[in-house]
Amino acid sequence: MKTIIRLAGIMILLWAAGLADNAQESQADHAVVSFSNPAKPGTVEVDISEGSITVRGYEGKDVIIDARWRERILTREELEEQEALPDAEEEVDQEELARKKAQAEKAKGMKMLEVESMGLSVEEEENVIQVNVEEGKRAVDLLIQVPFSTSLRLSCRDDERGVTVEGVSGEIEVDTGDGPIVLTDVSGPVVADSSDGEIKAVFGKVTPGKPMSFSSMDGDIDITLPSAVKASLKMKTDEGQIFTDFDVQLTPSQQKKEEDERKEGGGYRVAFEKVTLGLINGGGAEIQLTTYDGNIYIRKAK
Amino acid sequence: MNCDELREKSADYLARELDEKSLGEARGHLADCAACREELEGLSAIWTKLGVLPKEQPGSALRSRFYEMLQAYMEGLAKNQERRGLGQTLSDWLGRLMPRKPAYQLALSFVLIAAGLGSGYLLSVRPRSAARTEVAGLKGEVDDMRRIVAVSLLKQASPSERLMGVSWSARIDRPGDEIIQALVETLNNDPNVSVRLAAVDALYLFYDHPEVKEGLIDSLAGQRSPLVQISLINLLVEIRERRAAEALERLIRDENLNPKVKKRAELGLVQLS
Repeated sequence: MKTIIRLAGIMILLWAAGLADNAQESQADHAVVSFSNPAKPGTVEVDISEGSITVRGYEGKDVIIDARWRERILTREELEEQEALPDAEEEVDQEELARKKAQAEKAKGMKMLEVESMGLSVEEEENVIQVNVEEGKRAVDLLIQVPFSTSLRLSCRDDERGVTVEGVSGEIEVDTGDGPIVLTDVSGPVVADSSDGEIKAVFGKVTPGKPMSFSSMDGDIDITLPSAVKASLKMKTDEGQIFTDFDVQLTPSQQKKEEDERKEGGGYRVAFEKVTLGLINGGGAEIQLTTYDGNIYIRKAK
Repeated sequence: MNCDELREKSADYLARELDEKSLGEARGHLADCAACREELEGLSAIWTKLGVLPKEQPGSALRSRFYEMLQAYMEGLAKNQERRGLGQTLSDWLGRLMPRKPAYQLALSFVLIAAGLGSGYLLSVRPRSAARTEVAGLKGEVDDMRRIVAVSLLKQASPSERLMGVSWSARIDRPGDEIIQALVETLNNDPNVSVRLAAVDALYLFYDHPEVKEGLIDSLAGQRSPLVQISLINLLVEIRERRAAEALERLIRDENLNPKVKKRAELGLVQLS
């Protein structure tokens, strides 16, 4: 019985903490910006270090930006780092430490006021909307609604939540650090790079003739293409495997071809043996898929 | 103006050759029709890209060759007309030459085949080398065109276009210094990882070019993306570039190096020694 009460107590505490968390997260910025030339597809640029970016296409002409500021939660590593800091810094900077101690003394018995400078700014120039977030304050979750044909340049350097794009038909350039990249119902040329995150892209249709590229050091790459797509795949994985349900016609990599034209004054060419070249429906624009540790999945849309 | 009419006029529209009235009508339709707008914008992108290409001008040699050919053809035609009357007598005469016995006929046909093959072979030797120089010349022209397209694409703002620029460069048979430099520049400075990865692959095709090896070794120190680092290490090991060992050692000493890259670099050192 006692344990049950204790458990219930813990749960209530957790619930309360959750509420407090929600209250913190609901501090939001909202902005509506229009392109200077709405008749032409515009571009939205976002570059944040901590947080997540979600972009959705919608039937409208303006760009609607909602920013939610996250309570700063330290990761285990950061916590350990912080605990380890005083020891490490003791010798390095005694003066700074003394100053901090004095400051802590002054603040005794008082609580810190949370000063909320939201730090979201948006600029528009020549049909390019740039969303800026003040660095180093708190992680921010951005939800951006854009006209369907907008092009996107998104960068999310250091977060586990990454970038999500839904229903946007413009060109998409996106890079993340740890976070995943998830693209759904897109069609424009996509160039997506992630250091450690997974990349998932589902294409409704594919703009013909435009090269695309997906790369991740450690993450899997999972793309879904329309069954009639014409594409030339250039696939490279050092440690992973490649899977597909397409009828991929593998072309011998140039390594095996070894054209020797030196006698005729030409060059001698070989290519990576790790590159696998494959044609879908006779070949088309090049799709480059590169990963070191991850697998590559190329799916046929059902 | 409806969609079909606009499609007919789109080339004139892009070339700015529409008169006031049609232009007004076209603009009016474009303002209302999203599909046509999209199509025309696509066309206009291609149009501008084509504008970058130099106009092909036939050389003076081509002109004189054409007239020579035309002359020869006319002469041939004139002779044929003369011969038309002689045709019948000629075939009678040939018929008389044919031996009556089938065995002789067979022997004669063998002799004729052998003679045909032999003379064909003899005759073909010279023209083939001439054809080869001609093909080489054409190849050179195609190369020039690819070079121009590649260099201009590498400067585009869109990474997809720059990827296309890299793949155009890779199709050039004999890249000049200009292409090599543009590719090395892309490898070192392009903000996009994908484009840099593609540049590594393209440079691999030209590694026997003196500037390429140097460029690749120098580039290793400046790369921050682990994938590009690994691509470069793979390549340097693959082409057995011994001078790369020093660059690899320097890379391994970097404390911030991704552990997987470090492992690959250490393996690379062993493979190179």
